[in-house]
Amino acid sequence: MTTFLFFVLVLLAILIGVYLYRVLQGPTIFDRVLGLNGISTKAIILLMVIGIYFDRVDMFIDISTGYALLNLVGALAVAKYLEEKGLP
Amino acid sequence: MATRSRPISSEFLFLKSMALFVFWILFSASFEWIHLGLGLIFSFAVAWLNSGHSPFVPRFRLWLRIFLYLPWLFYEIIRSSLHLSKLILHPALPIDPHLISVESKLRHHAAVVLLGNSITLTPGTITAEVDRNNLIVHAIDKVSGEEVVSKKIESKIADIFKDEEPDL
Amino acid sequence: MDILAIIFMTAGLFFLIVAAIGVVRLPDVFSRSHAVSLTDSLGAFLMLVGIALLEGLSINMLKILVVLILLYILNPVIAHATVRAALRSGLKPWQKETP
Repeated sequence: MTTFLFFVLVLLAILIGVYLYRVLQGPTIFDRVLGLNGISTKAIILLMVIGIYFDRVDMFIDISTGYALLNLVGALAVAKYLEEKGLP
Repeated sequence: MATRSRPISSEFLFLKSMALFVFWILFSASFEWIHLGLGLIFSFAVAWLNSGHSPFVPRFRLWLRIFLYLPWLFYEIIRSSLHLSKLILHPALPIDPHLISVESKLRHHAAVVLLGNSITLTPGTITAEVDRNNLIVHAIDKVSGEEVVSKKIESKIADIFKDEEPDL
Repeated sequence: MDILAIIFMTAGLFFLIVAAIGVVRLPDVFSRSHAVSLTDSLGAFLMLVGIALLEGLSINMLKILVVLILLYILNPVIAHATVRAALRSGLKPWQKETP
C-alpha cells in the first residue's frame, strides 16, 4: 500500500510539471491562468495523499480546504481583472 | 450605512447562519463552550453582513428534487468524460470547436445557475456567457454540442422547478 | 477495502493523465479548458473517493466529502470566469480549417 501511495505521489508531481510547462509556455495570459487552476486542483489531491502517506490526515485536510478556497478567490480576482483590462 | 436593496427576511438570516454554524462545527471539530460560542457569534455576524443579496430560500421539496437529479448528472459526466478521453487520446485529434447560442425557457435565477453549472461540469461543453436566459456555450465537437442543442439537461431542470414561482 | 481504494485511485489517475495530455495537445484556451474540467469533475472525484475509502468512517471522511462538494461547486465557477474573460477580451476560438 505504501508503495502504491508513493507511486501516486511521484505521478502527481510529474503531472504538476506538465501543467507548469503550459504556465511557462502558454501563448496567451489565459493559458497561464488555466494552468494555475489545474495546478491547484492537483495540489489539493497531492496534499491529501501526503496526509494519508504520513498518517496525519486531520492536519492536511484543513490545509487543502484553505487552498481550495484561496484558489477560488485568486482565480476570480485574476479573471475579473483581465476581463476589465482586455487582451494585453 | 449603505442602503439595502431588499429587506432582510429573518427566516433567511436564521437559515443562513445555521448553515454557516454547521460548517464551523465540521471544520473546528471541537465541542468546547468557547469554540461553540465564538462560532455562533461569527456565523450570525457573517450572515448579517451578507444579507440582502438573495431572498431565495429553497424549500425541502426542491432540495429533494435537486438531490435526486445529481445521480443522473453524474451518469452524464461519466459518459461525456469517456467521450472526451477518446477524443484526446485519438492520434488525429478529431476535434471541431464551435460556439452555440442557446435560449432557455427557464424563468428562475437558481434554475439558470443550475443549468450553467451542469453544462460546465459536463466535460466537452463550457458556458462562456450568460445573459438572463441566453447562454453561449463552447462545445468541443458535434457530439458534445448535440447534448446542449437537444436541451436534455434543460428539460430535467424545468421538471425540477415546475412548482416554483417565476422570478426572472 | 484497500483493493477498492486502489481501483478508484487508478481510475482517477488515468483521467488526470489524460487531462494533462489534453492540456499539452489541444490548440487553444477554450479547448484546453475542457481538458481541465475533465480533471476537475471526474479525476478529482475518483481520487478523493479512493482517499476517503482508505481513511475509513470518521470525521476526516466527512471533511474529505466537504472538500469534494466545494470542488464541484467552485471549479465550474472558475472555468466559466476564465472562459468568459477570454471571450470578452476578444480572443477568437480556434476553428478547424475548412477544406
